[in-house]
Amino acid sequence: MIETRNLKKSFGPVHAVRDLSFFAPDGKITGLLGSNGAGKSTTLRMICGVLQPDHGSVRIDGRIGALLDHIGLYQRLTARENLAYFGQLHGIPRALLQQRIEEVLLQLGMETIADRRTAGYSQGERMKTALARAILHSPRNLLLDEPTNGLDIPSVRALRSLLRLMRDSGMCIVLSSHILEEVRILCDHVAIVASGTVVAQGSPEDLCRQTASASLEDAFIKLTTDQEDLSCSATL
Amino acid sequence: MFSHALIVARKEIRDHLRDTRSLVSSAFYALMGPLVVGMVSIAVRGEKSSAVLLSMASVFVLVATFVGGMNIAMDSIAGERERRSLLPLLMNPLLRRDVVLGKWLAISSFALTGVMLNLLGFAIVVGFSFRLLIVVSLTLIPLVLFAAAVELLISTWCRNIKEAHTYLSLVVFLPMGVGMFLVFFPHMATVWLWLPVAGQQSLIDLLTKGAQVSLLSSLALSLITVSSAAALLLAAAKLLHRDEFVYGG
Repeated sequence: MIETRNLKKSFGPVHAVRDLSFFAPDGKITGLLGSNGAGKSTTLRMICGVLQPDHGSVRIDGRIGALLDHIGLYQRLTARENLAYFGQLHGIPRALLQQRIEEVLLQLGMETIADRRTAGYSQGERMKTALARAILHSPRNLLLDEPTNGLDIPSVRALRSLLRLMRDSGMCIVLSSHILEEVRILCDHVAIVASGTVVAQGSPEDLCRQTASASLEDAFIKLTTDQEDLSCSATL
Repeated sequence: MFSHALIVARKEIRDHLRDTRSLVSSAFYALMGPLVVGMVSIAVRGEKSSAVLLSMASVFVLVATFVGGMNIAMDSIAGERERRSLLPLLMNPLLRRDVVLGKWLAISSFALTGVMLNLLGFAIVVGFSFRLLIVVSLTLIPLVLFAAAVELLISTWCRNIKEAHTYLSLVVFLPMGVGMFLVFFPHMATVWLWLPVAGQQSLIDLLTKGAQVSLLSSLALSLITVSSAAALLLAAAKLLHRDEFVYGG
């Protein structure tokens, strides 16, 4: 479970997150849907603790794993060595770590590439390794920032199946995206973010009903246009 | 307490031992000094040749303290930012102080290896005694730690490897400049004796000339040098707490 209350974060004069609250329950995939620059990535960074909020609070029950937009790997190390490094930093005991690495490699279908240096990896392979790194310590909560960016269609489908499996095992998954179709297909619960705040939340069907829209796209446009108008008026 | 720092150090050493280009360049520098001095020793004859060779050697050794860790310093911090692997690293449950400490240990290990290789080369070419080799090595260890800290701080400040390379290449001139200055103005050594780099340069000069060196003042200089290194590391850890250094492009 992840809950944020009244999060605020500014970078100099830029108010990246204004007053953001949402709740992501266990056993569900919650989508943060918003345009570029709406404050999704900043919110995820505050949730996983690498960015301190100026105001507000974050409540998480259990360990958290994250695949944010920075997915840099150590290119002279193999995927297995990359994972071992992060596992050690998480304090996973040596014997358990070996077992856990094998499990994760198997889960993501990475056995054949695990002992190759990551320098020659394709975008999909890099993404898989970064995801493996995020779930290695068996977190109960998982944050994903635009996880399908740069992935080909089979990889996207494989990722979706994996996320559904993790959700069904009771994990709380929060993913940010600006791709409506992605969110519609994958998410059980959606929080629409515009100008650094959540303007509406509910299931995709709820959001369509609330805004009397035929599609999530129409609902998104209605909800975010209102907020952006308000935000512009406030600035003026 | 420092187990995370050791994990980081071990990973950095393993990672950079596979970086053939930087290993070759570091080893090349370490051996270049003795080679040049060896060639000069053939060219220079006369009473003062030994003094000239020793002065040259001491400048090369001093520069080696900075050169040996330069590649790993720029790659392990500025490179980490450039590759966008710093953020995932900092998401682990470890203190930023330990990240800095681990990388510093790794940089220091590479720099110390370079210096030792350099000194061994000079021992063969110029004919250092074993005792002198040990004493000079001990004098240089605090300087290696200081040089690694300077390089780490600069690299933390830089956004990418190219930027770090520009500034770190300039830093290498620092001991070269100080060394040359003291070769030509040896009487200034007393004034600069307490400063890192200049202090070690003066000590090495005295040691190679066979002069008596006060143990107390050597220890004091080492303490000043290591304390300065610690202050630089704290500054680097502080930088890693600033958002723009973690996320800045």
